[in-house]
Amino acid sequence: MVWVVEVKAAVFMGQEDVQVLNVPKPSIRSDEVLIRVAYCGICGSDITAYKTGNYVVGLTIGHEFSGTIEKAGSKVEDLKVGDRVTGNAVIPCCRCSFCLSGKPSLCESMEMPGVTANGAFAEYVKFPAMAVYELPEELSLLDAALVDPLACVLHPVNLSSFKPLDSVLIQGAGPLGVLTLETLKKSGAGKIIVAEISPGRKRLAQDLGADIVVDPREENLPAIIERQTNGLGIDILFDTAGVPETLSQNFTLVKKGGEIIVVGITEEPTPSDFFTVVLNELTIKGAYCGFNEYPSAIEMLSKGLVSAGRIITSIIELDEISEKGFKPLMEPIKECKVVVEVGGG
Amino acid sequence: MELASKEYLKEVMERSNADEKYRELAKGENASYTFMIQAEPHKGVEKDIVLGYTVEDGVTTDIWLGERKTDFTISGKYGVWVNILTGKTGVTKAFLTRKLRVRGDLMKILKLSAATERWLEILRTIPTEFHGEYAQYNIKE
Repeated sequence: MVWVVEVKAAVFMGQEDVQVLNVPKPSIRSDEVLIRVAYCGICGSDITAYKTGNYVVGLTIGHEFSGTIEKAGSKVEDLKVGDRVTGNAVIPCCRCSFCLSGKPSLCESMEMPGVTANGAFAEYVKFPAMAVYELPEELSLLDAALVDPLACVLHPVNLSSFKPLDSVLIQGAGPLGVLTLETLKKSGAGKIIVAEISPGRKRLAQDLGADIVVDPREENLPAIIERQTNGLGIDILFDTAGVPETLSQNFTLVKKGGEIIVVGITEEPTPSDFFTVVLNELTIKGAYCGFNEYPSAIEMLSKGLVSAGRIITSIIELDEISEKGFKPLMEPIKECKVVVEVGGG
Repeated sequence: MELASKEYLKEVMERSNADEKYRELAKGENASYTFMIQAEPHKGVEKDIVLGYTVEDGVTTDIWLGERKTDFTISGKYGVWVNILTGKTGVTKAFLTRKLRVRGDLMKILKLSAATERWLEILRTIPTEFHGEYAQYNIKE
C-alpha cells in the first residue's frame, strides 16, 4: 500500500470558485527544493483569474510567497534545509534566445508557479533551486511576500527611460501602483500624480508620498495634469490599473515625446489613440513579470526602502481566502495587499 | 461682453441652441468639455480661465465657469484662443500644430469638426472683449 501524504491548498475550481482542499504533498526532483510556505500574497492576476475563470481547474494558485526549505534535492548545492526563502514567479527555460539575451520575462517556455503549475497558497510548494532566493535575516517572512510584486515594479521602471525629476502619473494605487510610487519617489522623481478611485488606496498613496492624488471619476484629471505640468503633460506614465478606461485615456496625458509603460493587464479590447501616438511621437512599452529584479527587490525590502507594513493591509488565514481575500478584492475599498498566513513565521 | 463672463457664457448657450445649422451638425453629439485658457501675464492676462459646457444631442444644456470632470479638456494659451475666436487660426491647424491640446477621445472630437467650425462661427458673432493687450482684437457687433 502507498500512503499519500496530503496538505491543505487553495485550489482554483472555476470562475469565482477557489476552495481549500487536501492535495498530495509535492515530491521533489534532485534539482528542486520543498518549501514550507509561511505567507503568500494575493496578486492582481489571481483576482483576474477569479473574476474570469482563466486558470486551469484543479490548479493550486499563489506565487507571491515566502517560506522555509524543508527538503532539498540531491543536486541542490547553494540552499539547505531551514533556509528562509522566496521563489521567483517566473521559471525561465534558460535556453531560448530570449533567456540567453537576458530577457527571461520573454522566455519561450517559462513556467509560472501558481499560474501554469501548482503554486504557494498551500502548506508546501516545490521549486527548482535555480529560482529560489535565500532571504537576509533582517527581512521578515511576512514582508518577503512583497518581493514578487516589487520585482514586477522594478522591471517596468528599469525598462522605462525614467530619470530624476521626471513628472510621473501612476494610474492605480493598488500594490503595484503604490510600490511604483515608493520606488520612483526614492529614485528622485519630480511631481508624482496618482489616479485612483478606491478611498483606502487613495489615502495610502497620499501617505506614501504622492504629490497629488486624484479620483478620476470625480475630478478632471487632464485639467489637473495641464495645471501641474504647465501644459506640457506628464513625462512618464505607469499604468498599473489595467482597465480600458484608463488605458484609452493615457495617450493624451503624456507630453510630446513622452512614455507610457503598461503594467496592468486587461483582457478587454481597448480603444487606442494612435493618432496622438504618431502626432506626439509617444513611446509605449509593456512590462511583464520581473525575473531579473528579484535580488534588487529583496535588498530594497531588507533595507526598509518600501513601506511593507502599510502596503499589506490584511493578513488572513488560508481557510478565509475566498471570503476575506478574493471577494473584497473584486472591488477594493480599503484593501491594498492581502496576504494569506499559511504556516506563518 | 467680457470673454468668459457669466453674461458671455449665457450668450454662447443661447446663440448655439438657436442656430439650426449647428444643431443639425451636432445632432447625436453627447459630450462635456472643459476649456482651459492659459494666462499670459506679460500680455496683461493675469489669470487662467477655466470653463465648461455639456452638449446633449446637439443642444447645449449646461455651461459653467470652473473645473469639473468632463469628457474632453482642451487647453491653450490665451492668445491661441483669441486667434481661433477671431478666425486668424483654424481650430484644426491649432490642434495639429499642438498650440491647442486636446485631452480625451480624439477620434470622437475630430468627427465633430464640422459642428465645431459652425460653433466657432456663432461665437464670432458675439461681441467680445478680450483681456490685456488682446483688447485690440475685440469682436464688435
